[in-house]
Amino acid sequence: MKRYPGTAWFFFGWLVILTLLPFALILGMSVMERTIQGTIHFTFTLENYLRCFHWLYAKVFGKTVLVAATATFSCLLIGFPVAYHLARSTGARRQVGLVLLFIPFWTNFILRVHAMVSLFGNHGLLNHMLLELGLIEEPIQILYTRTGVYFGLIYNYLPFLVIPIFSALEKLDPSFREAAMDLGANRSQTFWRVTLPNVREGVVVGSLFVFIPMLGEYVIPDLLGGAKEVFLGNVMVSQFFTMQDWPFGAAIAGLLSLILLVALFMQTRWQRRVQGVLA
Amino acid sequence: MSLRLDGLSKNFGEFQLEPVSLTIEKGEFFSLLGPSGCGKTTLLRLVGGFATPSTGKIILNERDITQLPSYERSIHTVFQRYALFPHLNVFDNVAFGLRLKKLPRAMILDKVNDALKLVEIGDLGTRRIQNLSGGQMQRVALARALVNQPQVLLLDEPLSALDPALRVRMRDELKALCRKVGATFLFVTHDQEEALQLSDRLAVFRDGRCLQVGTPKDIYEDPADSFVASFIGSTNTIVGEIAEDLGDFVALQSALGNFRVKKNGHPYPKSISLILRPEKMRLLRSRAGVQGNLVEGQVAELSYLGSRTEYTVKTLDFLFKVFEPELERSRKRSLNIGDKVYLSWRPEDAIVLGSHGGLQH
Repeated sequence: MKRYPGTAWFFFGWLVILTLLPFALILGMSVMERTIQGTIHFTFTLENYLRCFHWLYAKVFGKTVLVAATATFSCLLIGFPVAYHLARSTGARRQVGLVLLFIPFWTNFILRVHAMVSLFGNHGLLNHMLLELGLIEEPIQILYTRTGVYFGLIYNYLPFLVIPIFSALEKLDPSFREAAMDLGANRSQTFWRVTLPNVREGVVVGSLFVFIPMLGEYVIPDLLGGAKEVFLGNVMVSQFFTMQDWPFGAAIAGLLSLILLVALFMQTRWQRRVQGVLA
Repeated sequence: MSLRLDGLSKNFGEFQLEPVSLTIEKGEFFSLLGPSGCGKTTLLRLVGGFATPSTGKIILNERDITQLPSYERSIHTVFQRYALFPHLNVFDNVAFGLRLKKLPRAMILDKVNDALKLVEIGDLGTRRIQNLSGGQMQRVALARALVNQPQVLLLDEPLSALDPALRVRMRDELKALCRKVGATFLFVTHDQEEALQLSDRLAVFRDGRCLQVGTPKDIYEDPADSFVASFIGSTNTIVGEIAEDLGDFVALQSALGNFRVKKNGHPYPKSISLILRPEKMRLLRSRAGVQGNLVEGQVAELSYLGSRTEYTVKTLDFLFKVFEPELERSRKRSLNIGDKVYLSWRPEDAIVLGSHGGLQH
């Protein structure tokens, strides 16, 4: 048996107690029955999982995936150029850029979302300003629409996507770009044929970093999307705290985790196959 | 068909490459030699189009290419650490330039295979870059540049990343390759031995200035100043003053004695430096019958190197380095540390420099 250092055992214990154990509890709960009184009865059932496939929940699920995917893609469109320019800049410019990227984290997440509520509301700062400037007659409805949700998601998750791409770009040997240009590639050919393929991993990691938590998001749709924009996370939370149906909430959580695991597995397989073809 | 650099300079603020004018002939193996930070890599980058010159022109085959971006120059580079694309295999790396030119598939296949064969790695086409040895990477980098039939091939210290035995072998191959493909090779190195062995001609740089351009023999035997003399090969320097005119010779008065110095048709300044190469002096066991310049000393150190033995001989406070070929050593009495010896040289074998470094002609 391999010997591990003490720190490894510490993190292993951490992982078991704070991640695996709660997850096991959720999974266990998801195959139990809920009594009329809202307590949990220890009998095995798959009823909770079957309920997830009801069209009502399936629709919420589909919408969650779609919105999260669209927001992830939008983050990529905004975040990649940001990461690219940060990685290419040097000295003070880079330092300032990185600090600006991280400044939002000095404020609590919930507070930031609330700040967006007052920014985008019909009587909020943005509409107020546009009305004053005479650019619009009526306030634009952003708050409590899907647009509001997109704004919230993109704003809050962008840094998580920028950082992995930034570090991949930064590690990229600048002589690769020179070699590409030396061999006759202009700027755009250099980007598509050399830079992008070599930071693909950073792009995938960054996208997963934002896509996965977005799938479980419930604060942003709740505060910025209002009653119409319900995410799977909101359904989960309401099952736990409003409906007192813990087993069903747990089943939704279990299913979501399963889907993420399958997605991760497929991504690894795909990547290995691509590398296999190259080898 | 030549590469001409016309007053090319680059000002980085803290570092400055002073204007360089050079003409490099087609098919010539030309080296830029100097210690790190001397400007040789900067010059290479200017020619490659990776940096813009502050002044001057780059003229390739009578065409001014100074303003052309690197991707429009028919100049290709072997980078210092090769810069092979890690996401592509060997074949795709070599095919990179050809695919950008949108050549037909069959032609790309032929050209790449020919290029791989040229550098003797015909069987490595499907190999991933990560699974190559240093020598193989070097060959892929050469093939990737040469497959595009460059008029000028730039090589940025391509041998410095290899282990010593391989480095020596690759020198021969590089030289043969230059003859075979007929392109001009512009080679950057800080290794004087490499530069001497490979180059048809070379330029020696120091602190952003080109000090001397010439064939290896010119530079070794007739260095422009004491820096060039000591950077290329070993030297012993005797400083002294001209005391007397002896017809074909002058008499040099120095702390080590009086020596005869050959005139070279130009007047010498009052104080001069005599540069003596270690292989141009003879190590004598006795002074009997010796005429000409002679110094007496003691063996302070000796190292046997097979083909020659290197001695350090101490005279007063001065240490001379002398090489004795094995053929000569083996026929004479063996020397030990502390033995009394005599150093002698012919006046015409000494290099004469003005004492402030500049060559006096």
